[in-house]
Amino acid sequence: MKRASLYHEQTARKRIASLVDPGSFTELLPPPERVVSPYLPLLDIPVSFDDGLVIGRATLGGKPVYLAAQVGQFVGGSVGEVHSAKLTGILKAAARDAIPCLLLVESGGVRLHEGSSGEIGISEAMRAVFECRAKGVPTIAVIGADIGAYGGMGILVTCCDFRIMTEHGRLGISGPIVIEKWMGKQAYDSSNRALVWKTSGGKTKYLLNDADVLTHDDSASVGAAIGELLSKSQPITLGGLKTRQQELEKRLGDFGKTSDPEEIWKAFGIADIGEASLASGPEFVALAKRKTP
Amino acid sequence: MEKFDKTFPSKSFSWPPDKEWAIAGVVGSGNLEVLFERNTESPNTMECHVESSIPGYEDSWLAALEDFAANYPAGGTKVTIHDQGAAPIVVTFRLRQAYDHLLQKIS
Repeated sequence: MKRASLYHEQTARKRIASLVDPGSFTELLPPPERVVSPYLPLLDIPVSFDDGLVIGRATLGGKPVYLAAQVGQFVGGSVGEVHSAKLTGILKAAARDAIPCLLLVESGGVRLHEGSSGEIGISEAMRAVFECRAKGVPTIAVIGADIGAYGGMGILVTCCDFRIMTEHGRLGISGPIVIEKWMGKQAYDSSNRALVWKTSGGKTKYLLNDADVLTHDDSASVGAAIGELLSKSQPITLGGLKTRQQELEKRLGDFGKTSDPEEIWKAFGIADIGEASLASGPEFVALAKRKTP
Repeated sequence: MEKFDKTFPSKSFSWPPDKEWAIAGVVGSGNLEVLFERNTESPNTMECHVESSIPGYEDSWLAALEDFAANYPAGGTKVTIHDQGAAPIVVTFRLRQAYDHLLQKIS
């Protein structure tokens, strides 16, 4: 029996290869170009040929796409100056050519070793996301790896039109260890994986409408979910933003005092927490009664 | 950080016409990335450049690379390695993996 190729176990390059039409991927700034971090050698840290981001163009179901895939194993998928410049570049190319842009995210956020240039770089990338959105060019983030999307990347993915998550993906601003350091182990135990995933994992993010799709942890399912969204975009309107603000205020009212993420699950119709914890993404979707706005 | 270069004699590699480079592995703890590139100037040598975060293992590196150059026709290639503390067996495995990418045996 051929083992399904699990999305969260793959490397960035494998992820791209398993999602796009065979042989259609052309990498931009490929490894031989050696566009590497100018800062890491000063700190005695080895560089990577792609600075932790593989970008390029391909077709998916015959339709052209631009892609950026982060390498989570390289300095936590963090966004340094070169990494962010590549990310911004691919998003700007998408806006220019009116071709959808896919972000395969696996990042703890800004690369602290590169300080301000990483911070500035990630905000430039966010601006480029909005450039796409202003032109109605779809931006789709896939968050399906264990590192998830945190810090600046957590913010960036929420700027995109759509987010596809698997149960392995996590989405947040401050990571679990950071929260524990600030608030204490009593408030948030970062070594409690079940708690961490129930707070910021794909299932809870789907319930709260932060993720648009919760899919199986395999490339075929992720690819199918992308295919459904490729021709859609979410225009930013004042009315839409006001509605979103109201939703967030309601969420704060409903769950602001809740210290147990299971209460959120129950509020969305999950009767058996154990069953829902073991359920796959699509099974979980069937169990939950998500309130779509 | 430790950096070194060495060139080893190796039988000429017959490059597939549509390949210029191949990469395997990533720079992460206990891992490394290996890039093979075409070197048209020297068809009978494997030219190596290694950057490693762990100093003091140059002899082991050179032994692993020399073995590879002797065991496989890798002449006409330039090998660049970024290492973050990979064990010798992982080095050998990644070299072979990148080489297989060149031969298009694996995607």
